[in-house]
Amino acid sequence: MGRTYHIIKYLCLLVWTAFVVFPFLWALSTSFKDANAVTSGARYLPWVEFEPSVQGWTSLFASGSQGINIVTPFLNSASVTLLASIVSLGLGTLAAYGLSRYSYKVGFVKNSDITFFFISQRIMPPIVLAIPFFLMLKEIQALDTIFGLVIVYVALLLPIAVWVMTDFFASIPKELDEMAMIDGCTPIGAFFRVVLPNSTAGLVVAGMFCLIFGWNDFFFAFILTFTETQLLPVAIVSLNSSVTPWWSLSAFALISVTPLALIAIVVERFMSRGSLAGAFR
Amino acid sequence: MLKPKHFFLLPALLTLAAIILFPLVFTVRVSFSSWDVYQAGLDFIGGRNYARLFEDTRFWESLLRLSGMSLITVTLQYVLGFALALAVWKKMRGGRIFRVLFLVPMMTTPVVMSVIWRTVFHESLGPANDLLSMVGIGPVPWLSSAAGAFISVVIVEVWQWTPFMFLLLLAGLVSLPREPYLAAAIDGASPARTFWQVTFPLMAPISIGAIIIRLIEASKIMDTVYVMTSGGPGTATETPSYYIYIRGLRDFQVGYSAALSLAYLVLMIITLTIIAKVLMRFLVGKET
Amino acid sequence: MKRISSTLTIAAMLTSTAMPAAVQAEADYSKYGIAKDIPGSCSYAAIDAKDYSGQTLNVITHAIPVIGEPTALHAEQFSELTGAEVNVVHVPFGDLFQRIMIPFQSGQNAYDVLFYASLWIGDFNRFLAPVPEAYTASSGMADVTDSFKGVATWNGQMIQYPMDGDRHYLKYRTDVFDNPEMQAKFKEATGRDLAVPTTWEEYNEVASVFSGFDWDGDGELNYGSAEVAKRDDLMFSAFISRAAPYAKHPDVGGGFFFDIETMEPLINTPGFVRGLELFVEAQQAFPPGGTNFGLGDEIFSFGGGQTLMSYSWDDAFIQAQQDGSRIRNAVGAAPLPGAKQVWNRETGEWDSFDEPNRAPYMTWGWSSAVSKESENQEMAFDFLCFFSNEANTFHDLQIGRFGVNPYRDSHFDSAFWQGLGWDADVADSYVTTLSEMEDSTNRVYDLRVPGVGQFMSSMANGVAEALAGQKSPQEALDGVADEWSDIVERIGADRLREAYANVVRLEDNEG
Repeated sequence: MGRTYHIIKYLCLLVWTAFVVFPFLWALSTSFKDANAVTSGARYLPWVEFEPSVQGWTSLFASGSQGINIVTPFLNSASVTLLASIVSLGLGTLAAYGLSRYSYKVGFVKNSDITFFFISQRIMPPIVLAIPFFLMLKEIQALDTIFGLVIVYVALLLPIAVWVMTDFFASIPKELDEMAMIDGCTPIGAFFRVVLPNSTAGLVVAGMFCLIFGWNDFFFAFILTFTETQLLPVAIVSLNSSVTPWWSLSAFALISVTPLALIAIVVERFMSRGSLAGAFR
Repeated sequence: MLKPKHFFLLPALLTLAAIILFPLVFTVRVSFSSWDVYQAGLDFIGGRNYARLFEDTRFWESLLRLSGMSLITVTLQYVLGFALALAVWKKMRGGRIFRVLFLVPMMTTPVVMSVIWRTVFHESLGPANDLLSMVGIGPVPWLSSAAGAFISVVIVEVWQWTPFMFLLLLAGLVSLPREPYLAAAIDGASPARTFWQVTFPLMAPISIGAIIIRLIEASKIMDTVYVMTSGGPGTATETPSYYIYIRGLRDFQVGYSAALSLAYLVLMIITLTIIAKVLMRFLVGKET
Repeated sequence: MKRISSTLTIAAMLTSTAMPAAVQAEADYSKYGIAKDIPGSCSYAAIDAKDYSGQTLNVITHAIPVIGEPTALHAEQFSELTGAEVNVVHVPFGDLFQRIMIPFQSGQNAYDVLFYASLWIGDFNRFLAPVPEAYTASSGMADVTDSFKGVATWNGQMIQYPMDGDRHYLKYRTDVFDNPEMQAKFKEATGRDLAVPTTWEEYNEVASVFSGFDWDGDGELNYGSAEVAKRDDLMFSAFISRAAPYAKHPDVGGGFFFDIETMEPLINTPGFVRGLELFVEAQQAFPPGGTNFGLGDEIFSFGGGQTLMSYSWDDAFIQAQQDGSRIRNAVGAAPLPGAKQVWNRETGEWDSFDEPNRAPYMTWGWSSAVSKESENQEMAFDFLCFFSNEANTFHDLQIGRFGVNPYRDSHFDSAFWQGLGWDADVADSYVTTLSEMEDSTNRVYDLRVPGVGQFMSSMANGVAEALAGQKSPQEALDGVADEWSDIVERIGADRLREAYANVVRLEDNEG
């Protein structure tokens, strides 16, 4: 474990870091190009290799014709993701607690089968359900609304919440709830007063996954909305014409990934404290 | 009066069932109809769609391709994720910056990043070939050859989801008990031996969980293919979900694509269950 | 934006001087970027007079910028002029069809106005509102060429609103073709004189000679041919362009893709196979990545000066002619190459032609329509009429990325293009090439029948397999023919024949 080992280790880490950040740097550079700078081959440094232009960025906030206004899609995305995540996290936490503390049996269906039912929802590729969901939302007049998307996203995110929280509760000693019940709490009271306050780490992880998978979904947002409720990924793809404006696409991409990238900092903080311990098993 | 155990489980179960039941039943029903671009209705044509499916080599080839693709990407993600987690596990200079950076790709939207990656792999205007030509390699037919397109998709998948493995495995490492390590240190075990005899077995359960989840998500691979290669060149990167998408939404053969979807779903559930059992036995040495 | 055809400006000035009183009252619309409002039933003044405040118009259109940007622009103007709220959604081409079709099939009134590819008329016609007479009789419509009116018509009724014109033609670099040094080089390599290709064999030959070296001296390698060859990206149209002269015999009517009598697919007949063989061969002259080029890549490649020749829609040509382009006025337009050997399916033999057989491909292009379910049909048609009013069209034609191309007789006016800074011979070659296609009697149209998406995606898949070397051209197209027969069986031969008759009528010049 000498110096060489450390040097090699840092070298490897730097190589991986370069790989991770490369597409972002490339997008940043591209977002300041114009058509001539793009078509003359790969160029990296503004001023040195090409004349920078800000049209990529200005087009994002211009209204109407000159570009697409990204503020509304941004707010839509945020609302749908947050609402669906909160609902999923709430329902999922309760279910996960139930599954980790009680045994259910209906016919041959046991706890593990119920858990599997939840998780198996993730196996279904979104396109399979696109048309049925469309017809269902049409019936309840929820097409092209935030409400409609939240319904669908709950089906998408609930399995994740159940998966993370089941593992998490399995790592919390049962003695904790039993003590509370000896003190006179009802089972439900014990859950809310004692178990839940000790579950911050699990909730953070589950919530984070809900946010990631909700924010990043594309196909449902794409098929179940018309003009009123556009979400961010859909708005970005609307720039994907036969003549792709690389510059605004890059600027748009950078803006849309920033909020979630900030989550990485929060997650890292929790992880360093070791408090994600039980969240994955 | 609702019993506590039902109070916990039922809301989620019923909500999910309510949302998912209609689409599922509907898909089953549609798979027995000839719903297509011209006639949108639930007629009954028996098992014709299923019969057609068995002769559809493009579908079976796409399944085979998916097996290869998910096996390669998930293995790479696991090995790289584990290696990275081990590298930044202990306290080190700059460790936190590395950790944050390594997490970022999984937070980004696959459709969006694939658009960026497509420009990176653009064969005459993108930086990938440009940088390679500086060291005398190239030009690599990234998206225009079968192998190149397959590799490009794998690279992007590895970029996007290695952080997921990294996160789960690092969280596992951080929470490992200290005692086994003290024992190994007293025995004077080499780092390699400590890893294989202490770390790896302790990490087995979390590894299985991470691999299964990744396999489930990888089997749906769609966004990357949709943006970067459209399944091409030829059919070189066409996965089942993309093929179902082509049949269902591009060609608008709704009935047939429903049959494809259900066949795919059943196959996936069976395969993943078997894989989960095998992994359990192999890594943990016990049956669950 | 101030340059506009002199004739039109004069015409507009004449009208305004004739009515001096009106000029006083006339509002100034120059803030909308147009040179001058041109009087007509949907002029700025006419639309300004309408009041649709409190009403909402939902529009679905293509992604930005092609068609998507002009849609957004005119939507914003329409909204300002009439007070209506106009919502526009932009969708990438590959998903536009299903985004329109799902609501149609489920009876959901999602969009009032639709911009889409005109070849989908076979699928959409049942869901579209016919264009009312007030609009078909308008001055703007009277000037639309016969072939684009034909494209908008279904069973004798106009149900699409023409707002774009499209065709495939050849584009090439005049600076290379006219360069004595390059001419000598070509002669040395082939023994022939360098000339604009008149057959696809010649096209491939020229392309391969000028591939892989730096013929424009900019330090980057140049290549022979940029073509749309990516499977899901309109490649089917490139293949039709290449196969048409070999498979479309001028003396044989009754269907190009199918025999209309029997609805037997003709896609694996020798003419199409020959076209595919030449497509496969052409790949050696593609730039790196050329086999995965979508339309956008083709536009960047030819329009950016990387390749010698290209063929497809107008976009690459207009891109090359944009203000500030490196190859401005170094390009020319010509009809698509033809064939000296043409398959005659009636006699089952190859017929030889001294003059190459040309079969201009009147490719699908953008069109627009109003949904039958729409509750705001009048406003919707007003919007389309405004979108395509003369002032707006002249504005849109000038901006390459908008993707609006000539479709009125008045657009085939060399002076207009020269007014944009084009050299006279460039403008002439462009205008002549385009207008001659209008006069051809051996034209090929798209397969405008229900399920065209299935037919074309099956064909593209077969062609892609041949291009990738997975199958021989004959094998690949035999596979396509089998799939086509299956599709015909599923959708129903009679239903398809009835729709296909609309296409054959246009091809056989009976429409």
